[in-house]
Amino acid sequence: MIGRLLEAVSGHVAAADALVKTDDTLSLALSPEGDTRIAGCRSQVGYLRVLRDGRIGSSAGTGGDAEIPDLVGRAMTSAAAGEELDLFLPAPAPVPEVSTRSPQAAAADAAVLDDLARTLLERLQRGNRRVEAWAERSVGLVQVGNSRGVLVGYPVSMAGVGAVVESIGVGSAPPCQVHTSGVDLPTLPALEGLVAQVDRLLDPPIAEFSSRSASRMPVCLAPRAVATFLRPLRAALTGHQAWLGDSPLRGRLGEQVFDPRLSVVDDPLAEGRPASRPIDDEGVVSRRLPLIDRGRVVGFIADLGVGARAGVPSTGHGWRTPHAPSRVGMTNLRVLPGPENRATLLTMMGRGILIEALEWGAGPNSISGTIALRAPWAYLVEGGRVRGRLEGVVLSGNVFDALKELGGVGSDATWMGSYCLPSLLLTDISVRCEM
Amino acid sequence: MKERLLDALSRSRAGYTELRLRRVWSSSVLVRDRTVESASTATEIGGVARCCSPGTGWGLAGFSGTERLDTRALQAHELSLAIASRQPVELAPIAVREHDGAAPIPEDPREVSLAEKRQHAETLAALLSASDRRITSTRVLCQDEVVETWLATSEGSWVHELRSEVSTSVLALAEEDGNVERAVGSVRIRGGWHGGTAGTDALIERVASRAIERLHAVPVRSGRYAVVLDRAAAGALMHRAVTHLARPNLPGADPDVLPLGMRIGPECLTVGDDPTAPGLSASSVSDDEGTGGRRTVIVQNGVVVGHLHSRETAAAEKQAPTGHARAGSLRGAPYPRATNSFLAQGQGSLDDLLQGIPLGVYVIDALACEAAGDQLALRAGSARMIRNGRLAEPVKGVQISGGFLPLLGRVEAVAEDFAWDVEGSRCRDGAAGVVAVTTGAPHVRLVDVAIGEGIS
Repeated sequence: MIGRLLEAVSGHVAAADALVKTDDTLSLALSPEGDTRIAGCRSQVGYLRVLRDGRIGSSAGTGGDAEIPDLVGRAMTSAAAGEELDLFLPAPAPVPEVSTRSPQAAAADAAVLDDLARTLLERLQRGNRRVEAWAERSVGLVQVGNSRGVLVGYPVSMAGVGAVVESIGVGSAPPCQVHTSGVDLPTLPALEGLVAQVDRLLDPPIAEFSSRSASRMPVCLAPRAVATFLRPLRAALTGHQAWLGDSPLRGRLGEQVFDPRLSVVDDPLAEGRPASRPIDDEGVVSRRLPLIDRGRVVGFIADLGVGARAGVPSTGHGWRTPHAPSRVGMTNLRVLPGPENRATLLTMMGRGILIEALEWGAGPNSISGTIALRAPWAYLVEGGRVRGRLEGVVLSGNVFDALKELGGVGSDATWMGSYCLPSLLLTDISVRCEM
Repeated sequence: MKERLLDALSRSRAGYTELRLRRVWSSSVLVRDRTVESASTATEIGGVARCCSPGTGWGLAGFSGTERLDTRALQAHELSLAIASRQPVELAPIAVREHDGAAPIPEDPREVSLAEKRQHAETLAALLSASDRRITSTRVLCQDEVVETWLATSEGSWVHELRSEVSTSVLALAEEDGNVERAVGSVRIRGGWHGGTAGTDALIERVASRAIERLHAVPVRSGRYAVVLDRAAAGALMHRAVTHLARPNLPGADPDVLPLGMRIGPECLTVGDDPTAPGLSASSVSDDEGTGGRRTVIVQNGVVVGHLHSRETAAAEKQAPTGHARAGSLRGAPYPRATNSFLAQGQGSLDDLLQGIPLGVYVIDALACEAAGDQLALRAGSARMIRNGRLAEPVKGVQISGGFLPLLGRVEAVAEDFAWDVEGSRCRDGAAGVVAVTTGAPHVRLVDVAIGEGIS
């Protein structure tokens, strides 16, 4: 279809690009009461963008062949009212190889998903737990093309399994959610990893902590908590905000802003991860992009639109969704591991708090990096050992300030969906207890 | 379309088959500062077939397009038979109804040119930028959407509905002496183009003044205060703390349901949900299972008296369906969800509520209201201190935190100034997806509430 779409606008516009995505998803959920829910979904979306008389127009639809005239007509109308922008579409270029599809995941049926979810549920089940488990796989095709001759298609698959575990009668801990996902089906060790994660969260007894007013003490963020903690940093490195907007990092490319132990990379070519892709949704080939190199800010991400407005090249981070403007977004975000293992980090803390997960909650303001995040899974550490779980812990401070001087970076970089993050030891942050 | 749906249903071998088809036309214009960043349109058509039979679970098949509807029903039937030992579905009976509400929309947004929509968005952006020299950056997103729905079931229910809404979302950044603050706001109006764009000037004014006010607001001192919630904040609290817990279990959502007969608040607390409230964006004559909506009281004078139901959850609780089965996406399954949640009016005015508070916090609007386990956090859009019964200086960083039930138990008084809020609110709920919701409430006073600090 993509060739016919571009053919239909050829000669009528200065340039055009198009994207078609098909997807076939099968999902299965097991309730604690033993019920199984199964749902299948097949969808296709098509997206057309044209450059006509110096203006950008776009339209989106389901993407069937019969819809081409409508898509073209609406894109032309959109161009008449669209942004004036000198959008420069990419030329064909060698496409890197990256694994985006697994035949096993693509072929998984309801029985395979049921087995995955049931295995996880049975391993998580305890007398004082209420467990819901789910498994899902999707398979599809992404096709990208433009009027300069780019025409690339790549198959995709994704499989995941996860659970929500509620601990009954143990304090006021929220339900504990765990999951693993990737291009291939989750392995048994991956399921065992989820079980170990839940046990690590739920097993420690409740400990006393009497810091009602905010106090500064060492805090070790486990990889999952790091994913939440770094949200302001991700926003600050992204698109319009980074190049033209209110990011605190704007204009600071090349500057040593953070601790030399912090290095951050966006990696669309990581093998088999959910956001891996050889080419972005605008036809720009993917490449590994360093963002922070040993504390120095070395890169921001952009798509073609932001690139054209800011006068910089696209970094291959364009994403398209049919009912919203195109957006710039990370692919697989990696914080490079450090030398210390988890035990060493805990020992380095002396008396401190280990936080396994943070809640973004009611949406702190990410412009300034100022946060006050609840830590539903926080643990008192003394002498390098976890003494017990703490309730009502709130982490507050400024993310950018905290990253200026780290206590340590863990060697335990762990993949969680499209993030690969190690533990971080923070020394410049406040904690208080609201219970 | 009706013939095609009925034909597909007649070919289904399942005991019960439901076909829902939806076509969505939408357009959006995004203006950042004075630059139009995008002006685009989209259409999407697709739906879902859902089947069950005696002794089987649900089978659900979502799809794009309108082709091969009988095959979709067949896929759903096959999925309903997959995996042995599933719990059979039981559906509470409903009256079979035929409803055709697809009358032409006055001032249909599809008839308005994208150029006119662009001009409208640019005018709003210019208004916002010019409102104060301290406004340094703006973002205006104008969207409209027309949705046509067809629903047919093997029991004979038939619904055909056409509806439209227009929404405007605004962000303003204010800067002075190195201090940067921002404010956001939105409105979503059901109906045609001009009705949907009327009143957006007031939104611009509100967001601009809120951003400016924050430049001089001091961070609130954390502690426990008497709190007065404005109508929007009170509605958000009731939606999250009451209506969310009035639905039987959803996958990935709140595992706890408020038990019938339990006292959760004072006599002045009466909360419910009303899909029949006229003209609101979540109102509908029928839910996504074909059940007619009805006003449902959840809490009467502080005591839980009802739940929001789909046909399935109603059967499990031996209750009647309430018309609250809503799909969170074009191809999603319907689950019990809130529509227009309300806190019934009480007595007295805002001044009456403020009276007698020596030191407190007045919360204006809710940026977000979220829960983790049994704890809830409501972040204020803006706030002022209350001193000696009067509104005083603006403060920022106000976040109410606490357990659901303790918070409701701290409600002390409810005013009589009830109004529906037209803020463009959406409710995200686990695997059940995102639906538009409306809240309505009067001002409310709570005592001894924990207010957090540190979030600018």
